Amino acid sequence: MSDSDPFGGRGHRDASIVNMKGRGQIDGTRRSGPVGEGRAGDPFLIGENMTGGYGKGPDILHDCTIAVEQGEIAVIVGPNGAGKSTAMKALFGMLNLREGSVRLNGRDITELNPQDRVKAGMGFVPQVNNIFPSMTVEENLEMGAYIRDDDIRQTMEQVYELFPAVADKRKQAAGELSGGQRQQVAVSRALMTKPSLLMLDEPTAGVSPIVMDELFDRIIAIARGGLPVLMVEQNAKQAMNIADKAYVLVQGANAHTGTGKELMENEEVRRTFLGG
Amino acid sequence: MEILNAIVVFLNFVFIPAAAYGAQLALGALGVTLIYGILRFSNFAHGDTMAFGTAITILLTWGLQTIGISLGPLPTALLALPFAIALCAVALLATDRAVYRFYRRKKSDPIILVMASVGVMFVMNGVTRLLIGVDEIRFDDGARFVIDVRSFREWSGLSEGLALRSTQVITLVVAVLVVWALFWFLNKTRSGKAMRAYSDNEDLALLSGIDPERVVRLTWIIAAGLATIAGTMYGLDKAFKPFNYFQLLLPIFAAAIVGGLGSPVGAIAGGFIVAFSEVAVTYPWKRVAEYLGFDTGSAMLQLLSTEYKFAVSFVILIIVLLFRPTGLFRGKSV
Repeated sequence: MSDSDPFGGRGHRDASIVNMKGRGQIDGTRRSGPVGEGRAGDPFLIGENMTGGYGKGPDILHDCTIAVEQGEIAVIVGPNGAGKSTAMKALFGMLNLREGSVRLNGRDITELNPQDRVKAGMGFVPQVNNIFPSMTVEENLEMGAYIRDDDIRQTMEQVYELFPAVADKRKQAAGELSGGQRQQVAVSRALMTKPSLLMLDEPTAGVSPIVMDELFDRIIAIARGGLPVLMVEQNAKQAMNIADKAYVLVQGANAHTGTGKELMENEEVRRTFLGG
Repeated sequence: MEILNAIVVFLNFVFIPAAAYGAQLALGALGVTLIYGILRFSNFAHGDTMAFGTAITILLTWGLQTIGISLGPLPTALLALPFAIALCAVALLATDRAVYRFYRRKKSDPIILVMASVGVMFVMNGVTRLLIGVDEIRFDDGARFVIDVRSFREWSGLSEGLALRSTQVITLVVAVLVVWALFWFLNKTRSGKAMRAYSDNEDLALLSGIDPERVVRLTWIIAAGLATIAGTMYGLDKAFKPFNYFQLLLPIFAAAIVGGLGSPVGAIAGGFIVAFSEVAVTYPWKRVAEYLGFDTGSAMLQLLSTEYKFAVSFVILIIVLLFRPTGLFRGKSV
């Protein structure tokens, strides 16, 4: 990838010598910079005036601002390619911000790498590849709690209570579960760190409508339990229905911001984006 | 009586040697499969790592013998083994630091690491030869037999004898212990689970707070242990010769692929499948057949001469890759 591609990619196809499964994209060697002071009156999490893109590539986000208040559900919606997932990755430290800052819980974490943001309290559920497929459900949860040194059993019981379907399959390999159950395992894994904020990147991508409703129910339950949730969603209508705050992104910039209800009633948002 | 004789011949010339050889291959294949699963490339230097580890074991064994330490009926090499593993692990960690880490940091494609491992193979090959020479070395001391041919004949009254060498018993016992320890480590300990998590999904492991470099270091240390033990067992059972270890790479890879690359259970099964096929195909079955009452005339009933034993691994490899590329136990390669 980063090499000048001397073999034209042919070597990747021979699985008898190379193992392409589960390879990482994140640069784990990047070191964190110092943590700064937050600003007075900040929301719980705010990514302010974020501008940047992947690696040395062009900017994808342009002066984009996303914020989540304590105990709220915030959703990021927008058309395909609007930079929804990118905005969330920017908040999580997975791309280079050229301008702007990310502040969490009264601290400026702009310089932290993703690993350290997890330790700072961010629970992140990627859109794909968000479980350990060959490990059992219980082992997935244990790995979620890897950074913790205290007793994890209580948290595990809470998670099992929240997702009874996951509890029933605790000894089964996570990769053998259905799509909806896998998403539940992925959310459960993130909850095991006892995060102070949960970030979900399209949790309902590729699951059936019934499963989607169930997932949304669980997410509301999590938020009502006091954990702020930030979510990127394709299913804009359903997402706005449950959102305390919604951000509509277009081409990497804030187009509309408001409570879910306000945006649902906004004529322009409905016409251009929600389809009537 | 005739049937018993046939069984004894079979045990003596096929079953026992193949079981010991299979255990050695299984230990080697476990190392290969572990590196494939976790570091994501086929390590062609594994055969020469085995040679290097064994060479250190031999040097340490000689040292212990000179100062008069021995293990009585057991080979002195067993005492030298833990120290040799430690030294071999240091060598592998140094290699990782000097070679593989650079490509890992750059996130190079695994195929580039495969090619780098070929380079490491040649270097290790040379280092081992400089260290201990190219000649065949036997370094088994202590009791040679658990059961020898003559006492077996006297005890059983059969015309065929059965020999069970102590190195064969040691190989099997050590293999069982090592495999048990490895599985316990991978399935029950926090570090072992972290290694499996990293193998499953690097990014998620990183985001769960698992230190990737620590997983890599642990993998090399375990691989060094497996390679040194496999090499020493092979050397005790047969003889140590660097070139033979280089050639062992083929049956070891065949074993790992037959079982399914990335699957530890598969590596063990694959080791025994390859070993039993190799021995069964190259053994002249004439005597067994005669005891069973078949007249074979002048035919030796040997399918392949022993010089061609590597063809067996090749054929098994091709058949598996054609008809079941994921291996018997569905590894990571699909």
